[in-house]
Amino acid sequence: MTRLVGRGVPRVDGRAKVTGAARYAADNEIAGVLHGFLVMSTIARGEVREIDPSAALAHPGVVAVYTHADMRTLTVPGFPYNRTFIPMQDTRVHYSGQPVAYVVAETLEQAQEAANLVRVRYRAEPPVARLADAPDEPFLPEGFRADQPTETVRGDAATALEQAEVRLERTYGSPMQHHNPIEPHTTTAVWDGETVTLHESTQGVVFTRNVVSAVFGLPPADVRVVSQYLGGGFGAKGPVYPHTLLTVEVARLARRPVKLVLSRAQMYTSNGHRSEFRNHVRLGATRRGTLTAVIGTSTAQVTRTDERTFNTNDSAVNLYACPNIHVRQLGVRLDLPTSGYMRSPETTAHFGLETAMDELSYEIGIDPVQLRMRNLRPTDPQNGRHTASRHLPACYRMAANAFGWKWRNPLPGTTRDGDEYIGWGMATETHSHNAIRSTVALTIGLDGRATLRTATQDIGTGTYTVLTQVAADELGMPLGQVTTLLGDTAFPDASLSAGSSTVPSVVGPVADAAQGARDRVIALATTDPRSPLHGVPAEDVDTEGGRLFARGDRHRSDSYRDVLTRHGRPVETRSHVENTRGHSFGAVFVEVRVQPRLGTVRVSRVAAAYDLGRVLNHRTARGQVIGGVTWGIGFALMEHTAVDPNTARVVNPNLSTYLVPVSADTPSVDVAFVDQPDSGSNALGARGFGETPGTGVPAAIGNAIYHATGRRIRDVPFTQDKLL
Amino acid sequence: MRAFGYTIAGSPAEAVRIAARIPNSTFVAGGTDLLNRMRDGAESHEHLVDVNGLDLDDVSADSGTLHIGALARMRQVAEHPTVRREFPVVAEALLASASPQVRNMAAIGGNLLQRTRCGYFRDAHAACNKRVPGSGCSALEGHNRSHAILGGSDHCIATHPSDLAVALTALDATVHLLGPDGERSVPISEFYLLPGSTPERETPMRPGELITRVDVPRTSVTARSRYLKLRDRATFEFAVVSVAAALRNRGRVVQDVRLAFGGVGTRPWRDTRVEAALRGRPLSRHTIARAGRTLVRDAKPYEGNEFKVELVQRALESVLGALGDVR
Ligand SMILES: Cc1cc2nc3c(=O)[nH]c(=O)nc-3n(C[C@H](O)[C@H](O)[C@H](O)COP(=O)(O)OP(=O)(O)OC[C@H]3O[C@@H](n4cnc5c(N)ncnc54)[C@H](O)[C@@H]3O)c2cc1C
Ligand code: SF4
Repeated sequence: MTRLVGRGVPRVDGRAKVTGAARYAADNEIAGVLHGFLVMSTIARGEVREIDPSAALAHPGVVAVYTHADMRTLTVPGFPYNRTFIPMQDTRVHYSGQPVAYVVAETLEQAQEAANLVRVRYRAEPPVARLADAPDEPFLPEGFRADQPTETVRGDAATALEQAEVRLERTYGSPMQHHNPIEPHTTTAVWDGETVTLHESTQGVVFTRNVVSAVFGLPPADVRVVSQYLGGGFGAKGPVYPHTLLTVEVARLARRPVKLVLSRAQMYTSNGHRSEFRNHVRLGATRRGTLTAVIGTSTAQVTRTDERTFNTNDSAVNLYACPNIHVRQLGVRLDLPTSGYMRSPETTAHFGLETAMDELSYEIGIDPVQLRMRNLRPTDPQNGRHTASRHLPACYRMAANAFGWKWRNPLPGTTRDGDEYIGWGMATETHSHNAIRSTVALTIGLDGRATLRTATQDIGTGTYTVLTQVAADELGMPLGQVTTLLGDTAFPDASLSAGSSTVPSVVGPVADAAQGARDRVIALATTDPRSPLHGVPAEDVDTEGGRLFARGDRHRSDSYRDVLTRHGRPVETRSHVENTRGHSFGAVFVEVRVQPRLGTVRVSRVAAAYDLGRVLNHRTARGQVIGGVTWGIGFALMEHTAVDPNTARVVNPNLSTYLVPVSADTPSVDVAFVDQPDSGSNALGARGFGETPGTGVPAAIGNAIYHATGRRIRDVPFTQDKLL
Repeated sequence: MRAFGYTIAGSPAEAVRIAARIPNSTFVAGGTDLLNRMRDGAESHEHLVDVNGLDLDDVSADSGTLHIGALARMRQVAEHPTVRREFPVVAEALLASASPQVRNMAAIGGNLLQRTRCGYFRDAHAACNKRVPGSGCSALEGHNRSHAILGGSDHCIATHPSDLAVALTALDATVHLLGPDGERSVPISEFYLLPGSTPERETPMRPGELITRVDVPRTSVTARSRYLKLRDRATFEFAVVSVAAALRNRGRVVQDVRLAFGGVGTRPWRDTRVEAALRGRPLSRHTIARAGRTLVRDAKPYEGNEFKVELVQRALESVLGALGDVR
């Protein structure tokens, strides 16, 4: 009797967003608020010698300039705080753009100007900014998350490679990249006695609460974090970063609420980034194309103070059925901020694997789709389920058909249209998804309306809409009768919106809470002599459109509203259901048009198909594909953060020089879904999906460029200089 | 950004008077570049004189000349029927610039005086001779992909970012100025200075001088002209390399040709030797290649921009090939 789940229901928060009614974290208006602005280090390595705030303090409206000398000793928390130190606790400088002083003033403009007037003297040491410049050999770090080991061994890859009939050895690279959500990071901290409320731009209100509570030694219940809407996060707002903690402390020192909004430039050093990355890939295969060895050694940036890496080589371990695997994630210490998760972190290494697979397909002389079909994996190695990639062949088939792959002439450099060479390429799309214990509370009020409360959040992906659909269906109510409230730690703890985990983690408890509430209301009706449904067996009552019906006799009916009014008290349920982690899959095919003389590349067509289990909302799922493919195009063709090799400062910290694709770079995407429920997922058969689309796009574009021109480029971005 | 004073000027004369009187004042038109520079801390000004209300936004043509008012907006000029028909290189250069939103705001005078996009220039904490004379040039041994291979010095290798200026350089435009001492005009070939040892001096403009208009002579080549812009994304991005070209030929023989280049020089780049290498000769792959080699003869590439030496020659080949129908 599903009517809403599975449909392309428009966003329930769409109107609030386009009319400006939606309140983002910085939109709050808090009486007496002070505006903060950070003074950032201008050297990358060394020591603060002296801070002279006098000119800043003399500026109109300035209330205070705080430095390390003013701060209490705070407890450095573990992950999800993503540094091994808290800035402004001592004088040490670990990267350029590290907070060294915090100005508060009556207006934002006054605070900004005063921050310019703070004089900081340093003792500087020469920094190292690029992997290639590091004096030491890459080393194998310990890894900081048990579920993301830095080394994985299966079988005997070295021997298998040596004995392989076909061998391939290549190195792939990608530069530092930044998330650039359109909404800047913001924190407003409001103390009330010993409790504090944060209006925060975060992908995890519960994460933030836990970190703040640990750092300040407060009971979790005394920290409230609110984030009703988010203007994009992409991983930049997943972990907790220093500016949040500093704002909480400064608001305590100032005895007034403090609001901080990072500037765009500050966002290039304050919230992580995708690390510069090298990926040395060795493949061994039989002459028929069966993989016998996969050895992947990747190198990412770590810092002098920590060894955290974030771009797991997941697909080398999990995607193809190869018995002999050796994957290592090495680190090189640089004087940069700790890197972090950035949308689809697995793309970084996957680009190398999927390009290597294309190279192998030419080496062996078989179609790249065929090569992948020969190496399919029957089970998901992460949870042993047989269903996970069961539909991957369907993805290849659907996308290939939509694209017209069978017309492909496999010879590179043979298809032309005037000055343009046309090339076709493909890659597998895949990403893991997480599952995080989540609790949901559902209340049906005397007016018969249902309200869902849970401390997950909508980061722009459509969570409000999908959860409302699920609850409305399970209750048998129209969409408008259910209100979903998210992004507030006053609600029961729920999933972080990262790692593609929201749907798999939260849909289960929402469905369960709604079913529980429906059953309670049915029981109230069938046991109440005043109800027309009195005496009907509970299992014979259906719900639809906000009403309760006796099955087989639709004239006997009642409504949620009438049942609740007679009952005189709201009905409340709570549920938590745990789901398992897993993977989603897909295939992407792209066409590029290359002018080899001028080195220009244009992506002219994209077709993709996905298996994400059951599709809860075709519109929001399609939105993820469009977003992911656009990210993939940016990754392939333009995105990179330029870091000065001598000063380790970011040279392009703004959206006019850090390029992301514009509409003209992005063709419309032909999207298809297999749409078969995954019986292993208790989220109505849906798996996590957000980070799967786009993962294969950089490789598919590079593969298409090779097909167009016969030129293989192994470093993104594929800019003109590399194509000449 | 520092606090600053602000006056709306009622007439060109008043604008010049205020700007000449208040030290460290400057004009603001669309503000699309100036305000970013001020926000980034690359510049600060005591006072801004808003010139948007001045009656200098006319675009008109008489038999010999196209007159473009300094406050005409980029979009207005790009869409002007005479410009599109008879000076296509100007319309194309404008349409290939920035975004529709920026083009709606930005005025021609502001466009010509926009400043380099060199990231070090716009980072108040980086060494940059153009921003702080004598502080050094971070680009020489840093990121210099967007920098010049022609016209640079040990002090600065920044490119001028305007596409329009490249087109106007090819067409021998004249910039008209009004200053405290009255009116004067400067040929565009003398309007942009090489950096030499004073990269902070970019034009010969004197304090308080206002651009009032730009004149473009109509010649036998202007109507067959074209702008080719190569860049790192499809739109809304500055040139990696660009070429403004205008051509008249009889049969295969080049009667007249005008060429200017963007993205490769410290100013909109014109080298008449390149044109001389083509004039009076048949247009062919061979002669175009020779002209291209002439262009880059004195090129001084750096680590990140070496590819431009080859790319600019191919861009020339592409644009002349299309204009002259060379197969
Ligand atoms: C994201 C982005 C992308 C862009 N891409 C391109 C591109 O691809 N190609 C391109 O050519 N440009 C590009 N631009 C630059 C854009 O064209 C300029 O910002 C714009 O033309 C400046 O015009 P304005 O009227 O806003 O000038 P303002 O910002 O108001 O002023 C610029 C300068 O000119 C001075 N000035 C203005 N008018 C006069 C006058 N009449 N007399 C004397 N001085 C004057 C000001 O004092 C100031 O120094 C881009 C800009 C942005 C923000
Ligand atoms: S190239 Fe010019 S603008 Fe850039 S850093 Fe050097 S001096 Fe400054």
